[in-house]
Amino acid sequence: PGEEYVSRRGPGPRPPLILCDPQKESLRMEKESRPSWEQPAQFVLACVSYAVGLGNVWRFPYLCQMHGGGGFLIPYLIMLVLEGVPLFYMELAVGQKMRLGSIGAWSAISPYLGGVGIASVVASIYLCLYYNVINAWSFWYLFHSFQEVLPWAECPLNSNHTGYLDECRKATATQYFFYRETLNITSAISDGGGVHVGQALCLLLAWMVVYLCIIRGIASTGKVVYFTATFPYLVLFVYLIRGLTLHGALNGLKYMFTPKLEQLANPTTWINAATQIFYSLGLGFGSLIAFASYNHHNNNFERQAIAVSLINSSTSIFACIVTFSIYGFKATLNYESCLERVKLLLLNTFSLAEDTINVDNITYWITELNKTHPNQFADLLPKLESCDLEAELDTAVEGTGLAFIVYTEAIKNMPLPQLWSVLYFFMLLLLGLGSMLGNVTAVTTPLRDLRFVTHYLSNETTNGLVCLFCLVLGLGFTTRSGNYWLTMFNDYGATFALLLIVLIEIISVCYIYGLEQFAKDIEDMIGHRPNWYWKIVWAIVSPLIIIMLFIFYIINYIMGGTPTYQAWDKDLGQSVTTPYPPYAQAFIILLLVSSIICIPLSALYTYCNRQRPESTISV
Amino acid sequence: MFPRLHFAVCFTAVLGPTLVHTLCPDTADGYKVRLSIKTALGDDAYKWDESEMFLFRATLAFAMRKYNQKPYEVSDVLVCNETQRVSFWFVVTDPENTSELISGKDVERAVRISRNRINNAFLLTDETLEFLNIPPTLAVPAESGTPPWLIVFGVVIGVVGVGIIALLISSFIQKRRKKGVTEGEEEDCEEEACDKGNGVSHPVEEGADGVNRGFVGDIPFTKL
Repeated sequence: PGEEYVSRRGPGPRPPLILCDPQKESLRMEKESRPSWEQPAQFVLACVSYAVGLGNVWRFPYLCQMHGGGGFLIPYLIMLVLEGVPLFYMELAVGQKMRLGSIGAWSAISPYLGGVGIASVVASIYLCLYYNVINAWSFWYLFHSFQEVLPWAECPLNSNHTGYLDECRKATATQYFFYRETLNITSAISDGGGVHVGQALCLLLAWMVVYLCIIRGIASTGKVVYFTATFPYLVLFVYLIRGLTLHGALNGLKYMFTPKLEQLANPTTWINAATQIFYSLGLGFGSLIAFASYNHHNNNFERQAIAVSLINSSTSIFACIVTFSIYGFKATLNYESCLERVKLLLLNTFSLAEDTINVDNITYWITELNKTHPNQFADLLPKLESCDLEAELDTAVEGTGLAFIVYTEAIKNMPLPQLWSVLYFFMLLLLGLGSMLGNVTAVTTPLRDLRFVTHYLSNETTNGLVCLFCLVLGLGFTTRSGNYWLTMFNDYGATFALLLIVLIEIISVCYIYGLEQFAKDIEDMIGHRPNWYWKIVWAIVSPLIIIMLFIFYIINYIMGGTPTYQAWDKDLGQSVTTPYPPYAQAFIILLLVSSIICIPLSALYTYCNRQRPESTISV
Repeated sequence: MFPRLHFAVCFTAVLGPTLVHTLCPDTADGYKVRLSIKTALGDDAYKWDESEMFLFRATLAFAMRKYNQKPYEVSDVLVCNETQRVSFWFVVTDPENTSELISGKDVERAVRISRNRINNAFLLTDETLEFLNIPPTLAVPAESGTPPWLIVFGVVIGVVGVGIIALLISSFIQKRRKKGVTEGEEEDCEEEACDKGNGVSHPVEEGADGVNRGFVGDIPFTKL
């Protein structure tokens, strides 16, 4: 019988013997068919790029200012150690072990937990929809920086050229540029308005750039993150030097670093520190699981988890220093302009020679003039501003207001503003883009895990379809009332869901999957078990912290009454707190519930499937 | 002409103070001017003296001439209430009838038309040479045909588009090339070759003659 198999060509080279053990075989198949990072450095940089985002620049400095400056670092670092690093470590471990996206990974932990993965994907989709609109704004500002006079430096003229536009005069030029020219915002969320064509174009560009970066999955992403993770640090460093040399920067830094330790007694400080660590690391979206799923089985993610978390927090502190030097510069500028105006007022009213009053003796003169011309001075009193440097420094701004209004105001006063503007918005763009890569990967990875998707559609097509879908839905945020919807998504779309998702994650890993089994898997991957510290934090401390945050969030939501938003009133030239209309409130509830509801629904579905007699147990 | 001028100046010099006393300040037809020379020029500031005042009156007369072509003279511009701040009131008299004042509206229009020239004569700006109650004429910013941001946007989106198309095409070519090569030699363990059962499995090697070479190496081991 052997003769039938004798080849007519003579014995060729001996083919390799491969032992076909089913488990190792599927592992080998996975190793071959699942793409992986070319270098472990790409994985680390991808995580850094994802975690270090816009929140590090515009949320942390605000919290620092609100909660006592340097003193805020204490709760922040404590929460980093107790909550941030352990949860980050856990997500990376799950991803690297299961080698699947969030849906597959949690289904593998327990078949009833597939819904946790689905909830993560839904939260990621919400984030993808609106986060790229912020990148579109960064593009808009970046392109508008290539002008001789920055468009937000001066107000446009009114129709008969006698002065500036009313709306611009009442607000400031930077606010006018943001609300009127960039967003063309309506006065209420119910007032729809059409699509802002410039914004739509910028959003299209933003999605094209994201697509270009993820087009071949992590093969492309891995190369892009070398740039998106490192360049922002260069810009931050340049800005640090620039910021520290600005006039008045030291006022801001002194303000930041004098700790107001009494703030530590305020529970809100600790809650905000925990929340900031939680959201800043991007836990619960499934991006970390997705990134880790492309790792080699023996990648030492423990060191990487600690490194990335520390890098993320240091970047926040670094950005805080830069922001406070800019704040100090802006506050000093405003204070000195205020003094100038008071001086001018005094000079003009009392017709004194120009050089009699200067900024040093202004207070002396105020008392003098009050004594010598009491009547005239009394008439003057309502117009006399009181100039206070502390008050200027106390105005705390966060979010898009900080990034697009306060910073641009400071930039327009720097020498060579176009250069600083381009650098700054390019940095914002890279920070936002880096986070977007993680967000989109969190959606595409579970999709690519589905066999029918891999069979019918290529990598490029799947990624393209996801980007197209998000682009089309994201156009809703480029309408004139889009900013209000964006704020709603930002406040309610993922915040609550993430707390629940991560809580279920940590509890299921510790108690359903089993801490011992988890420790064994980690030993299998990196060679040693996690020590007692990690086990205690995973099993007890972190879940407690998250439960506390969860309860606090619910209490805040219920006690907050009708949810409100900041509507831009163009007649007043400022934002007004307005309650949401009923349909918007219903939409908020829909947002809150829609991602969470996947968890019980999916568990129910699995349970029903298992009850049916002909179902085969699938692993 | 010169004797007559000389006579006119003398005449005004005698009449001047009295005229000024009655006509100036006339809040209806007069305007207050305020100069902030030190703020504008800092160390290069010049001292405000009689000659500078003369220049001011001459410039204003020039502005009035530009406005309605009547032969205004320096003497037609009357100044009063000068202060240390460097502020003063002025009124303009009609050259043909020196007891008549030119209406405030006309003065305003004249100043607005020649504002730039007046400012430049004193090296000042709209903020540092103020005519109270005369709104400044702001310069219209230069409007370019295509907004500059669109140009930068066009360049960037073009580059990104080209990049995407290039990557898509190269993936497509790679896939077609791979497909051509795979048909003969490449192991494709996903579909048929790999037996999931226990046992020795070789990747299927099919040569040109369609013979399964998988067992070639095993010939010495098979015993019957």
